[in-house]
Amino acid sequence: MNGDDARGGNGDAGEPPEGDLSARLRRLEAQIERKRPSVAPATSARPRDTDRTPLGQAMTLSTEFVAGVIAGGVLGWIADHLLGTKPWGMIVLLLLGCVAGFYNVMRASGFAGSRPGRRDGADR
Amino acid sequence: MAVTIDPIHQFELKSLVPLGHIGHQQLAFTQSALYMFAAVGVVALITIVATASRSVVPGRMQSLAEVFYEFIEDTLHQATGDGGKKFMPLVFSLFMFVLILNLFGMIPYAFAVTSHLIITFGLAALVISVVVGYGVYKHGAHFFGLFVPSGVPKVLLAILVPIEVISFISRPISLSVRLFANMLAGHIAMKIFAFFVVQLLLAGAWSVLSPLPLFLTIALTALEFLVAALQAYVFATLTAIYLNDALHPGH
Repeated sequence: MNGDDARGGNGDAGEPPEGDLSARLRRLEAQIERKRPSVAPATSARPRDTDRTPLGQAMTLSTEFVAGVIAGGVLGWIADHLLGTKPWGMIVLLLLGCVAGFYNVMRASGFAGSRPGRRDGADR
Repeated sequence: MAVTIDPIHQFELKSLVPLGHIGHQQLAFTQSALYMFAAVGVVALITIVATASRSVVPGRMQSLAEVFYEFIEDTLHQATGDGGKKFMPLVFSLFMFVLILNLFGMIPYAFAVTSHLIITFGLAALVISVVVGYGVYKHGAHFFGLFVPSGVPKVLLAILVPIEVISFISRPISLSVRLFANMLAGHIAMKIFAFFVVQLLLAGAWSVLSPLPLFLTIALTALEFLVAALQAYVFATLTAIYLNDALHPGH
């Protein structure tokens, strides 16, 4: 087959002929292809890769929730600071952040759709 | 006994070369910066030097680099499809940087750079600013359609859009906190369990129990190696998924 590369003389006497080798290679490739998990079409969901270990899952879900609350709290603090609406921005946005945290967790654990914007074009 | 346990001590920054002050904030070249330079050096060694020969049949180092490259390219392709190719350098650099830093942290007496929140948050902020910047540059105002869920009654949008916005803002936070918390918790746990061995050895007759935490420490070390690699991978995957939003915001 591909006799284009001049092999060094490291082949010992017991080496199978070239054609046999490429046939074996092809067979191996076919076997690998069969073993390989079929690549799902990109679903772009939240990754479930972290869920392999229970600890990883716990980490993922807790950080998702905490991140939502922190984001809401920081936004509320900034809003209060800029607009002078002392307690209210914090209260409202912290609650919204809590909701967003729950939403994150639901999304990460697969209870809610991956991304709401992603449904096919039923946009208004 | 007299030995005190201080699991946080390992995360202290030590200034190697003081560089002066900004206001009251001291500037210094710390060991953290040194480790980051070393990580960049190792990544360069793996990717540039090892592939310099460009042999068709790769040597050991070159096939290592190729494995990493193909792995990340596969991940990126699965998350973003064909359009994501241009982000390959970003995702690959982030992955290698985080992976090498995580693995550096596993060397005894070494310093785990990624156990500092500001480092991981800096990386996450970079990712999210690329997402927002590219999304706005490519799609203009259409990018913000990301925050408007489709198929929802108009009344509910008033509540859902702020939630979506907060959820988006929480992304860099969760991205950085996840990596940081994993590294911090793992290193503290290893330190504490390793300390139990010492404490039991000093506790007279109880020292017969000291192999127990030793085995646990060994198991934890193995787990930490897994976590180090896994978290680098998770960081790269999440980056790719967020980039996908910049490439294809909701229709």
